[in-house]
Amino acid sequence: MTLPTLADLAQQAAASGLDIVPFAVPFFVLAIVIEMAWAARHAPGAYEPGDTLTSLLMGLGSTLAGGLVAGVIALSAGWLYAHRVATVPVVWWSWIAVFVLDDFNYYWFHRAAHRVRWFWASHVNHHSSQHYNLSTALRQTWTGFPALSFAFRIWPAFVGFAPGMLLTVGGINLVYQFWIHTEAVGRMPRWFEAVMNTPSHHRVHHATNPRYLDRNYAGVFIVWDRLFKSFTPERDDDPVRYGIVHQLGTFSLPTVAFHEWRAIGRDLWRAPFRAKLGYLLREPGWSHDGSRDTSDRIRDRWRATHGDD
Amino acid sequence: MSGKLVTAITTLVARPDIGPWLVLTAEALVSLVMVLALYGLARALRLGGDVRIADAAHAIALAEATFPGFDAEAVTLDRARIGALVRNREGRVMLIRRHGARFVGRELTNHKGIRLDRHTLTLETGDPRFGDLTLDLGADAQSWAASLRRLNGDPREYAA
Repeated sequence: MTLPTLADLAQQAAASGLDIVPFAVPFFVLAIVIEMAWAARHAPGAYEPGDTLTSLLMGLGSTLAGGLVAGVIALSAGWLYAHRVATVPVVWWSWIAVFVLDDFNYYWFHRAAHRVRWFWASHVNHHSSQHYNLSTALRQTWTGFPALSFAFRIWPAFVGFAPGMLLTVGGINLVYQFWIHTEAVGRMPRWFEAVMNTPSHHRVHHATNPRYLDRNYAGVFIVWDRLFKSFTPERDDDPVRYGIVHQLGTFSLPTVAFHEWRAIGRDLWRAPFRAKLGYLLREPGWSHDGSRDTSDRIRDRWRATHGDD
Repeated sequence: MSGKLVTAITTLVARPDIGPWLVLTAEALVSLVMVLALYGLARALRLGGDVRIADAAHAIALAEATFPGFDAEAVTLDRARIGALVRNREGRVMLIRRHGARFVGRELTNHKGIRLDRHTLTLETGDPRFGDLTLDLGADAQSWAASLRRLNGDPREYAA
């Protein structure tokens, strides 16, 4: 039996997509075991069994939900590709281009997921853990498909990138983001921190500290945050507190998966007609009467007492 | 999911008499076993631990973390240090309780659902996710119950 060449694999991946996530799962499990052993010695509070169980079950549910709708997403990408305006050849530079483009798309998806309540409702569960460890990386959404968040990632098919390429680089992007969900790694070398998303940068993203709210949206390359003015470095004098502004206070799976959708439904029902759209499309925490806090308001209030250092 | 399992599943998929639903179910069951194994390991290693509120300063820091700019002025701690009440200069009151290895807080806005029984206070925040909490406040229970009776606002709603 002869092994396929890298070029063959690349062609095959472009044609039908090479999802590397299933192959990464054994490494995910091994890495979590190693991190737990580290936590047992150095930081027992870094893990909480109930929280870990919830995160992992969210991950399992997300995989199942994703499996159910993968065909629809593939069909959508295929439809766009069938109506493409150009054809990008499958060569080494187009793989690099599509990887960078997909990460750029991830940045804007992720920014929207924090700034538009509709998208936040499906993304919030990833942030609802008060812990930050490798199991948190697997606390993924069950409702990404109905939120239509995949639209951010499949449009390059219309430009001429093969849908298989998009699936392949999307999987690599997801796998990259696994390892940055840890407190076990401090800072990476300066050159790496300058270009890549790292545990330090992503800890900031998961923080509830006013200084850090809604910052560092990057997936793989932190340069997007630097470019679009959403970057904040982690500071030793402001240790990160993890979770969401109103911590859930429960490990209940249905609550973690659906609480924000329920809250949106409640707000839509009660809000005056002219304000209804705001509860869907404005930033999380927005209210028509100003009775709630958005992250901008929290940060402004905090700056008023702490200064802008 | 191990490499061998991937091969096995790929082989199963290739067989026309075995439907994808069976494969998906098998995959889910294997993943569930792994999830439970990791949960069991976390318990066996005693991760999380038994966290308590260290002192009044800790309770104030937790209230400030819950509501930046809270500006706490008075604190009372549960005897077992699993919860606390923190009041600020505006008279707003924050209830702090343990949640796993971390803490969560909710503002108390209304005196309804507050019950005093000698040295214990039972408190409801109006948030079903947060639940009720009974604090053993010792001699402080009476005076805090009296001050909480002045709370007369609307129940706070908690979105994300």
